Amino acid sequence: MKRALFVVLIMLFVFSAFGKEIVFWTAPNPLQESFWKELVKQWNEENPDIQINWSTIPAAGSSEEAILTSIASGRSPDICTNIFSGFAAQLIEADQLVPLETLPGYWELIEQREMKQIVEGWKFNGHYFVFPIYSNPMLMWWRGDLLQELGYDSPPRTYSEIYEISEKYSVPNEKFGMQVILGRNWWDRWFDFINYYYAASGGNSYLDLERARATFNNEHGKSITEFFYKMFRNNWTAVDLGNYPLYNGVVLGGIRGPWEINWAKEQFPDVFDDIVISPPPVPDYYPDEDPVYTFADTKGLVILKSCKYKEEAWEFLKWVYSNEENDLRWVTMTNLPPARGDLSTNEMFTDYMAENDFFAQYASFVPYAVPPALTTKTVDIQDAMTDHLIEPLMYDRAGPEEALNDIVRRIRTILF
Amino acid sequence: MGLKSLRRIEATKGWSISVVYFIYTAIFWGYPFVWLFILALSKWNFLTPRKFIWFNNFVKMFQDELFWRVVLNTFNFMLYYIPMVLGLSLLFAVALTKIKFFKTFFVLAFLVANVSSGVAYSIIFERLFAINGPLNKFIYTLTGKTIPWFSEPQLAILSIAMMVTWKFIGYYGLILFSGLNSIPKSLYEAAELDGATGWKKFWKITLPLLNPSIVMVLVLAISLVFGIFTEPYLITGGGPMKRTFTFQMMVYTTAFQKLDPGYASTLAIVAALMSFGCVILTRKLIEKEVEYA
Repeated sequence: MKRALFVVLIMLFVFSAFGKEIVFWTAPNPLQESFWKELVKQWNEENPDIQINWSTIPAAGSSEEAILTSIASGRSPDICTNIFSGFAAQLIEADQLVPLETLPGYWELIEQREMKQIVEGWKFNGHYFVFPIYSNPMLMWWRGDLLQELGYDSPPRTYSEIYEISEKYSVPNEKFGMQVILGRNWWDRWFDFINYYYAASGGNSYLDLERARATFNNEHGKSITEFFYKMFRNNWTAVDLGNYPLYNGVVLGGIRGPWEINWAKEQFPDVFDDIVISPPPVPDYYPDEDPVYTFADTKGLVILKSCKYKEEAWEFLKWVYSNEENDLRWVTMTNLPPARGDLSTNEMFTDYMAENDFFAQYASFVPYAVPPALTTKTVDIQDAMTDHLIEPLMYDRAGPEEALNDIVRRIRTILF
Repeated sequence: MGLKSLRRIEATKGWSISVVYFIYTAIFWGYPFVWLFILALSKWNFLTPRKFIWFNNFVKMFQDELFWRVVLNTFNFMLYYIPMVLGLSLLFAVALTKIKFFKTFFVLAFLVANVSSGVAYSIIFERLFAINGPLNKFIYTLTGKTIPWFSEPQLAILSIAMMVTWKFIGYYGLILFSGLNSIPKSLYEAAELDGATGWKKFWKITLPLLNPSIVMVLVLAISLVFGIFTEPYLITGGGPMKRTFTFQMMVYTTAFQKLDPGYASTLAIVAALMSFGCVILTRKLIEKEVEYA
């Protein structure tokens, strides 16, 4: 007994004197927690000299709040996941992040995972500070059964087709063609206006950060605002659609992320079988043969500059992300598409895709899913979109052109 | 033992008892309080070094249209909430004086709302008031119409005022109930002998003698209006048209989403000053000296 205690003490001494510890925070999500728990355990067993001290991001109002507090108090993690674009931009501007391309083997890993196109969306001042870990394309869910009752075998693709089915289906104050707007929170603009803009413009950015202006005051922006306006004025959509409008048949369709798959399967098993997935709607002029781009609800991980062992931290990340089996385990456990360009073609995922048709459809859009603009003013801009673009159109306080001009002017002021 | 050493022992005892409180107050009240004023005069984003900018945050605030929207929202909310909560709490208190049986049960039933989790009941109300929720379904069967509780700007304020009223009826009602109990019965008996009716007794005796309790409820309710956060944050997100955007929501989003704790501190100071101002004004206008004899 005494001898065992002695050995433990010696090991503790050796580890504290020569071992390296890396503090790693991940998203406070039970499914992701299970994934990381297993992997970290495996790494720590195989690498006694580089130990990962893993925990979830501490409880706070939001992950960003917890991370900020930790940085301000000098107790920041070395690696942190769950970083969205706007927050990444803030951390980059404050010079808190390590440019990952300066670490050995970065481009090899990107190439291996076919992520070249994906990381371009995360480029900031010519550097790559964020390693995207999952990318959720936002797609339309339609009630196939109700569409068939109306005489349609496939979901609508263009705005005109949506007008047509909406006119047939809508009953004032009862039923509506489509859920056009997702909510009033600033992040809802990612899923509606920005998503529609990516679809209409072939994946072009809605902001020109170098010239500090919005880019959507063009034919695409005009078609989207006219679409919103027409849908609200004709009562083909509504501000308040009540609880679970898609599953209750209040609307025929709406934008959804892949995180809703498991939930819907459990809560509305009868309706779930009738759900049909399609890309976001596009203006009538959008070419039939072109792929439709969509918004990527994507989060990444970063290495903070305060990290003492940057190369070791990167070694750990390379160990995780160079093994395709870990991606498969991630998919199986979280149902979130990992950020890699070969999801639809890599044999590792074939079986899973064959068994999970919904996931396969989401995965097929990963190459066309565009992340949001990397700006520190994300919240201000998207709040302004709610107040001066979306709500005026909803409540008929402004026409499409007036609202569009107003928001473009306001974004100019915010970015300038 | 001399008088001096006795005094010293007494002083040591006193200090050793109160020092815990002083240290606690210094850490959890004094330090944040001083820091609040430093922040209000600074530009900072939690990450880069803090810059001293004097009163620029205050100037920015008075030019900020969102700040004025929030001021209007606060008074708009007060306009619905104060009469509603005061009237219903008074009704509850009067009802309690009339109840002979199960009084404790009724008191506890109303107090449950006060101790309920804000997050939990906000979600319940959101479901209840939804356009296809049970309340609207009932209204629809009666009238053929639905009420957009959270999507029409003025109705959204009223709906949140109703929720907060529900939460505080039990608490304020108990304060008023204790006020009612302290009014001597002999005053009512004397009034009855003089031929006073029920209403007359209420207006001439109950209401004037209940003044201290009413003022207390008003002070609590006014302070609460400046501190509302959970309900609008969870249900309406500050909309529609920013009509339910409150001071606390603005402070929170400015500090932690827009990373501007300096401006958020300025807003917090001004909200506190406005709240104190309203409380002082209410006391000046309503508070009266009350003697039961």
